Amino acid sequence: MKLKTRDNGKVTILDLSGKLMGGTDADLLRDTIHGLIEEGRKRVVVNLADVKWVNSTGVGILITGYTTLRKNKGDLKLLNVSNKIQSILYVTKLNLIFECFTSEQDAVNSFTGT
Amino acid sequence: MADTIVLEFPSSYKWLNMIDLVCGEVSSEMGFGREALNAISICVIEACTNALEHGNKCCPEREVRAVFKRRPDRMVIEVIDCGRGFDFKEYLKHIPDPSDIHNQRGRGIYIMKQMMDSIAFEKLPGRGMKITLEKMIDGDAEKNCD
Repeated sequence: MKLKTRDNGKVTILDLSGKLMGGTDADLLRDTIHGLIEEGRKRVVVNLADVKWVNSTGVGILITGYTTLRKNKGDLKLLNVSNKIQSILYVTKLNLIFECFTSEQDAVNSFTGT
Repeated sequence: MADTIVLEFPSSYKWLNMIDLVCGEVSSEMGFGREALNAISICVIEACTNALEHGNKCCPEREVRAVFKRRPDRMVIEVIDCGRGFDFKEYLKHIPDPSDIHNQRGRGIYIMKQMMDSIAFEKLPGRGMKITLEKMIDGDAEKNCD
């Protein structure tokens, strides 16, 4: 997995690409989110447009990012979720946890109170 | 297309592209719809990553075998690792709630159970664990889990 970080106003966009499947992926996303929290940037959108696969470990990595930010009074939302990833979220009922968007600006505008 | 396709690959994530391509080709050829194609792809990748991570401990010298079988009414996929196996009967009794965000384990098998029509585990003497996944072409079969 590759990860690029950019800002859209007060929201940080994490552009992921490749496979989100475990191994070093977990360290990369965890370290990035911890760094953002230290900088006070706790509004995060994870853009999955270029992610080809997510397996159950990858879903766990997203959950860890979500819970880490929520514990620090932040939030994590998902952008451009593919049909395959939607299927996994739906089957595991994690679609009730993650807010998903198809428009980056809608995702950015959705942050209130964090 | 042959009725059975067997692929063996080292325990590395980079070979999953090949597995997904073959899986997609076989399942498309069999006439599965888009939803079923996605489900099969997700579950085959899940089974293969389980095999190379948990079974083979990501050791490149250990191979994962993926077998795709075309049957008149279903697609059968077997994924076999070289690991020591696990107590799947006990494990299947206690699959955690996949929506529990405080739990990191158990979602893979839950996902495969939900998305496929049948899932079975077997410990192969002298080889490792075999997981067998089945997807019915009509998609309406009663689910089995052994």
